[in-house]
Amino acid sequence: MDCPVCKEPMIVLELDEVEIDHCTSCGGIWLDAGELELLLGDPDSRDRFLSSFETDEVTEERSRRCPICRKRMEKVSAGANGKVRIDRCRNNDGIWLDEGELEEILQMGSLGKDDRVLRLLKEMFAKKRQ
Amino acid sequence: MAILILLLAVVVIVVVVLIGFYNSLIRLRNQVKNAWSQIDVQLKRRHDLIPNLVETAKGYMKHERETLENITEARSRAINAGSVGEKGPAESALSGAISRFLVVVENYPDLKANQNFLALQEELTSTENKIGFARQSYNDQVLFYNNKIQMFPSNVVAGMFSFTVEEFFELEDRGERAVPKVDFS
Amino acid sequence: MWELIRANKRKSLILFISMGICLVLLGYFVGAVFFPPDGGTAGIVIALGVWFFMSLISYFSGDSILLAVSKAQEVSHDVHPQLFNIVEEMKIAANLPVMPKVYIVAEEAPNAFATGIKSEKCAIAVTAGLLSRLNRDELQGVIAHEMSHIVNRDVLFVTFAGILLGSIVLISQVFLRSMWFSSRSSRRYRTSKKVAGGGQAQLIITAVAIALAILAPILTRLLYFSLSRKREYLADATAARLTRYPEGLASALEQISSVSLDLPSANKVTAPMYIVNPLKKKGMQLSNLTSTHPPISERIKILRGMMHGVNYRDYQKSFSKVRGKAPAVIPTSGLLEAKRILIRKPSVEKREREPGKKKGIRDLGDIMRAVNKYAFLICACGLKMKVPPDYKKPKIFCPRCGRENEVPLAELAAVTAAVGAVTVEEGKKKEGPPGAPARQTYVRKGKGWESFSCSCGRLLQISPAFGGSHIICSTCGGITEIKK
Ligand SMILES: [Zn+2]
Ligand SMILES: [Zn+2]
Ligand SMILES: [Zn+2]
Ligand SMILES: [Zn+2]
Repeated sequence: MDCPVCKEPMIVLELDEVEIDHCTSCGGIWLDAGELELLLGDPDSRDRFLSSFETDEVTEERSRRCPICRKRMEKVSAGANGKVRIDRCRNNDGIWLDEGELEEILQMGSLGKDDRVLRLLKEMFAKKRQ
Repeated sequence: MAILILLLAVVVIVVVVLIGFYNSLIRLRNQVKNAWSQIDVQLKRRHDLIPNLVETAKGYMKHERETLENITEARSRAINAGSVGEKGPAESALSGAISRFLVVVENYPDLKANQNFLALQEELTSTENKIGFARQSYNDQVLFYNNKIQMFPSNVVAGMFSFTVEEFFELEDRGERAVPKVDFS
Repeated sequence: MWELIRANKRKSLILFISMGICLVLLGYFVGAVFFPPDGGTAGIVIALGVWFFMSLISYFSGDSILLAVSKAQEVSHDVHPQLFNIVEEMKIAANLPVMPKVYIVAEEAPNAFATGIKSEKCAIAVTAGLLSRLNRDELQGVIAHEMSHIVNRDVLFVTFAGILLGSIVLISQVFLRSMWFSSRSSRRYRTSKKVAGGGQAQLIITAVAIALAILAPILTRLLYFSLSRKREYLADATAARLTRYPEGLASALEQISSVSLDLPSANKVTAPMYIVNPLKKKGMQLSNLTSTHPPISERIKILRGMMHGVNYRDYQKSFSKVRGKAPAVIPTSGLLEAKRILIRKPSVEKREREPGKKKGIRDLGDIMRAVNKYAFLICACGLKMKVPPDYKKPKIFCPRCGRENEVPLAELAAVTAAVGAVTVEEGKKKEGPPGAPARQTYVRKGKGWESFSCSCGRLLQISPAFGGSHIICSTCGGITEIKK
């Protein structure tokens, strides 16, 4: 799968039997819906997690194309204060975080309704937090 | 004249039949040889695998020194075995040591998590299976060949060209190579 | 086993001849209708021509077509050592002179098939879904079943009988369609007056041709399917005998049947090649006469009924118990085998695969990635990294612990083994930094499989067929020169 930002092939990181796609060029990550389901246990928690972000229509940040369905993703707000803009596929294929967004989330905490996702990210990107 | 031609015809037929039997015996003997070489290849492969395996397992299995030493010893005895008569028991002793080892390994989760060890274990398990299957197919061939040698009319040809009965290769059949079930729970 | 092959050949011959007669008859009457008054011979020639042409195509490219259609990819020992080993085990057990090629189909539905019109050029293909679901004993059962198809020459039968059937269906369809078409279109242009002279005879011929065009495909299909089902039973029996463990195949069939996934890359023509019908979801009830495969539950019951041994006779006994008065599936020569063969104990493997669970899904994904030539790295901190083959950088910094991990040039290693030294030089350039990898030499002891450790500790293997001058370790990139 290619990175939606720099179109380079992404590598896959696996920890505790959950996978995250990671671009080593720009540092962004792709959280796939299927993996979220594995992590959270069932399709319902996955849907609840994905829909827990509010759509942000005012931002003029460039939107990215979903690496799965190739459609334009929508910007949603995340993070403790809702200031971090991340991309979510309109078909709920997954969410995309740029490197800066990931770092902010890791520092401030809070990503969606389920903190298991954040815990996994913190564990996986331990080096980025320091 | 007619009798002469008839006689000639009979001789030709007999010779053709003899050649036919001879060829089929040769073919069977080659198949036996081929099957034996299969066993040989796998036994050698097993000897090659063991040092690596013991080396990897050593660090994890401090309390199983005996099991590991048994394998190493059985291996060197099998390698040094000269005649086919010595080889059989030596190899079957090695099989026994390996199967005990493979059972004990199940109790070392750390070792089972080592990718290198897992790869070696799969190779060893498979080699054990291959030895078993090769032996089975060798014995099938030998049975077939020996039957041909002893049965009329091919036994006549076999006698003329001194085809001899081949030996079966028996690794002691511990309940058809049953691996002892050990339950630690 | 060799007696069985002969018995099979005889039966197949009878079947071929009856199917051939169907084809010739059909050709004759269709020809007689199209080119009256005596186009019968021409019809036969055309029918046989169609059959010959289709056979020719599949004889020269049959395997590659099937493998291409099913999107199978050839794999080496490294991609899935267990699969490769099991195929070799069964090759030895079946006394096959050559090692079949091994293919993996990157699909989730668990299934397997064998190809190889000539047994010297055979192949066994399994799906990734099968590999992720079955344990060692189960996989061995499936491979043994496929190996039986190869030794029993079933692939040859399926291919050529399939082509005969295909030709008959093709000719009937073309004929019936043209009849329907002409009867509609000609009505407007023809007078309703009867065609003078021979009209009666022509009418009869047309009627016979139509009847044949409808009946011949049905008849040949029934013949074909009944024999193909018989061959499935026989392959099960042979598999039990080869592995000496009927439970392996039984449990594999159970696992496979519990999954309700169709195999999109299979179709009606290739279906008989698979271990279970890949298009099983529709018309399970109707399946008795028109199915290529016997019902799975029955196959399982028969295998589990083999209590005392794994001889052909034991299978036939169990078969009769399950199927009642159905005709025997094992040729008489197979039943003469006197030697009793005992069932072996299951292997020690404790790990049970859990399909649908996290681990099972992970395994499935990893097999598919391995087939697609991903490299797998495990960082010292425990983070797993899966690197696609088109990834260009030589190193990856672990985001978890910051360690530097070198990317093994997996594809390169595979290529070098085949091509030799030239690729290494190019590969070194591609690698960039000149951090010289370890070098060592290994002297070959013989011509068989040999294994030794790389300086990094990884087990390296060379196959009997290895012809290169060196191999590259996929963990550390170290080069080991191989000397004869
Ligand atoms: Zn990128
Ligand atoms: Zn999408
Ligand atoms: Zn089959
Ligand atoms: Zn790390």
